[in-house]
Amino acid sequence: MKEESKVIEDIKKEIALERLRQAPLTVNISFGSNGKFMNRDELIEQVEKNTELGKRIVNIQIEYLRAFKKGITISSNG
Amino acid sequence: MAEVLFSRPDDDIMLSYLHYYSKELVKISNELGHQTIDKEKEDANKRVITSIILKQKPKLIMFNGHGSPEEICGHKKEVIISAKENAGILKGAIVYALSCASALTLGPKSVKEGTICFVGYDFDFALGKDRDSEASPKHDKLARLFLKPSNTLFANLLNKKDVKTSVEKAKKEMQDNIDYLHTTDSIPDAIYYAPYLFSNRLGLITHGDSSASIN
Repeated sequence: MKEESKVIEDIKKEIALERLRQAPLTVNISFGSNGKFMNRDELIEQVEKNTELGKRIVNIQIEYLRAFKKGITISSNG
Repeated sequence: MAEVLFSRPDDDIMLSYLHYYSKELVKISNELGHQTIDKEKEDANKRVITSIILKQKPKLIMFNGHGSPEEICGHKKEVIISAKENAGILKGAIVYALSCASALTLGPKSVKEGTICFVGYDFDFALGKDRDSEASPKHDKLARLFLKPSNTLFANLLNKKDVKTSVEKAKKEMQDNIDYLHTTDSIPDAIYYAPYLFSNRLGLITHGDSSASIN
């Protein structure tokens, strides 16, 4: 069970990394906990190193894909 | 009219964006006749802010700043409110924290100790910056899409709308902006920012009485 969960997490991470790699280098995002803006490669580095922020970035990408799959009718559910 | 307190540090690029956008809210608060206390830059520190809260008991408080699940920070990341130390001083207020993840632990703790309603984010608040804007908040069309909904939320609170309505309006605007990011050509690489604005939308939550207003 633990192994299966690890496999799923690895797949999610790969999907997120692939999406991040599609973006141009100049993407510029800050997450308010440190105030620093990061470009594409710095975002990828966070994910590759499995930092807390990296895990959060993976979740963002996966949640977004899920919502997109549902037709992103997310505005009607609160 | 209500007493309204703003804590607006401005000591890094991200905070300079929050500081710039919240200036409009200070103006609206004054125009509406609220007794507005604006503590910005180095005045957004623990001693000043906690002293005002304890003495003047503002009904509505907006915190800009860095944060964590347990804390809201001010100038130079000084912790102003902490779940472990002084969440109880927010008793009787409606609080909006544009501060990373503080709705996760500090939000419910402060409500348990008497905050009427705590509005904030249970994830890190994300902000996109236009690569061509040279970190000028005024000219940054991308950052506007991230920060304008936050202003909509607080402007509605200032206009005596209840928390639930104010949050719904902000979320609707976030969704409209996500849709815009999918389709526009006027902002470089707009589509790559949509997941991060989506994350803000998902993370915006309330604790406590969301039917409350400053009426």
